[in-house]
Amino acid sequence: MKDEILRGLTDSVVSGDVEKCMEYAKKALEAGIDAYEAIMEGCARGMSIVSEKYEKGEMYVPEILCSAEAMYAAMDVLRPHLKAESIGTPRKVVLGVVRGDIHDIGKNLVKLMMEAAGFQVIDLGRDVPNEKFVEAVLREKADICGMSALMTTSMIFMPEIIRELKKKAPETITMVGGGPLSQELAKAYGADGYAKDAAVAIRVAKELLSRRGGI
Amino acid sequence: MMVDRMKPGERLVAVLMGQKPDRVPVSPFILGYAAKVVGLPIGDLYTDPKKSFRAQLLCAEMHGYDSSPMYGYAAVGAWEFGGKVGFPYEPGQSAPYVIKEPVESEEDVDRLEVPDPKTAGSVPIAMEIARQCYAMGLPAVFQSGEVLTYAGNIMGPTRLLTWMIRKPELVHKVCKKVEEFLIACAEYFTSTFGAERCIAFAGGPIESNKLISPKQFEEFVYPYMLRIHRKILDMGVPIILEHPCADQNKNMPWYRKLREECGWRGKYVWNFGPETPLETQIAQFGEHDVIMGNVDPPSFQFRSFEEVIMLCKENIERGIKNPSGYILGPGCEMPPLAPPINVYAMIKASREYGSYA
Repeated sequence: MKDEILRGLTDSVVSGDVEKCMEYAKKALEAGIDAYEAIMEGCARGMSIVSEKYEKGEMYVPEILCSAEAMYAAMDVLRPHLKAESIGTPRKVVLGVVRGDIHDIGKNLVKLMMEAAGFQVIDLGRDVPNEKFVEAVLREKADICGMSALMTTSMIFMPEIIRELKKKAPETITMVGGGPLSQELAKAYGADGYAKDAAVAIRVAKELLSRRGGI
Repeated sequence: MMVDRMKPGERLVAVLMGQKPDRVPVSPFILGYAAKVVGLPIGDLYTDPKKSFRAQLLCAEMHGYDSSPMYGYAAVGAWEFGGKVGFPYEPGQSAPYVIKEPVESEEDVDRLEVPDPKTAGSVPIAMEIARQCYAMGLPAVFQSGEVLTYAGNIMGPTRLLTWMIRKPELVHKVCKKVEEFLIACAEYFTSTFGAERCIAFAGGPIESNKLISPKQFEEFVYPYMLRIHRKILDMGVPIILEHPCADQNKNMPWYRKLREECGWRGKYVWNFGPETPLETQIAQFGEHDVIMGNVDPPSFQFRSFEEVIMLCKENIERGIKNPSGYILGPGCEMPPLAPPINVYAMIKASREYGSYA
């Protein structure tokens, strides 16, 4: 019964079926399944499959956005029933698109995948001034600061932000991504990590946290 | 290093006519960079046709590259259909961007009207630049796609991508209106200048396989693209500059089918992103079309002069094998902040490694 419900949640996230996802979330609560377990073993597992399929070119952004709708619908049902002791302390990620840049599809996908993976994301939005990244990292004591850019004119702000963070929050992991970025450029900018897309971003984030001893 | 025997315009015309020029022509896909070169804010390049034309012309003259002024940007569609765009006057910005989409609800789709190209959004600016080009004997370039990129700017990319699954009929309604508008634009330009003096330019990032599948391309892009291209070719436009932006490797069969279904009419100039190998492009289009390839754009901004020369050399050595002609260019717009020496690197590489003698 429990397995069937969790599998139902996973499958309906993958297929982007909002109605079914909400139905399974309600069923999970009725069956006495812990809400956190339903989120992690049902919804998050579904998003993890979505992420793998995206990386393999088996799913594309339209399908991912529908999966996200389904996942968030189930989470809306489950979240009020979360018990503080089951959640623990999630890792915090400050995320934003750098100054001058309004292209946020990539950032939103990273946010989605990170939330599904259990991170707490502080989304600064798009066209974010350098100092806002630094302020948010300090205020939130963030584990990771992720910066996204699609324009060659806006990506130049990344090294400035990274320099500031290295001075003021040296423990915070810095990650960059977006169309004009590359591993080479990320290294030149002083970033700790680079991800070519949202699926890779989760892996890189976990690896970097593990290396830092945080996961 | 060879001495040029042809003028920029002559070199490009030779390639488009299927003849061998003195050396490989260079088309650096320059827009915002031209504003930087002449000391203007990038925004002026998109708002002031006189300044834009002059900046692009002087930039071409200074560097000695072969392409001529044009107008276009990726956020096109929103302003034309009644929304609002902002222009790049702030640090970090490089191109116009959408501030308000004309479609924000399902009801807006039916309310959306096909605008008159004579007054729609940026078209009058594009027309004014085309007029100045025409007066100097240069081609009049007009934007002819891509449809899904227009639709994404009209309804917002996230809404578009979600509706492609949830409400495909609404996406088709918007795409149909965009098709109608783009054909009207083509008629406006060709009736003003004569089709033989026009070049159609199409391209957009939303068609990229970073976002959509080839199956979705088949459903939401191909039918519209085919009808628009057929119409433009029927009008007598001799050249279509097609820029499948970013990674569109999986859409390649559809671009090939487009050429086949249009009977290989006209001359196409293909400018794929750097993700698409030149050899693949030559295999698909080499018997008829010109390949404009496709050096990695960010490299012009952050690599050294010597590195850019080497990238251009490698591109030339592969592209020059195209039997129907090759133009050296970046795989998307030249970064506005590229050091001028790296734009010159393209000309120098063409002279050193791109001679047809």
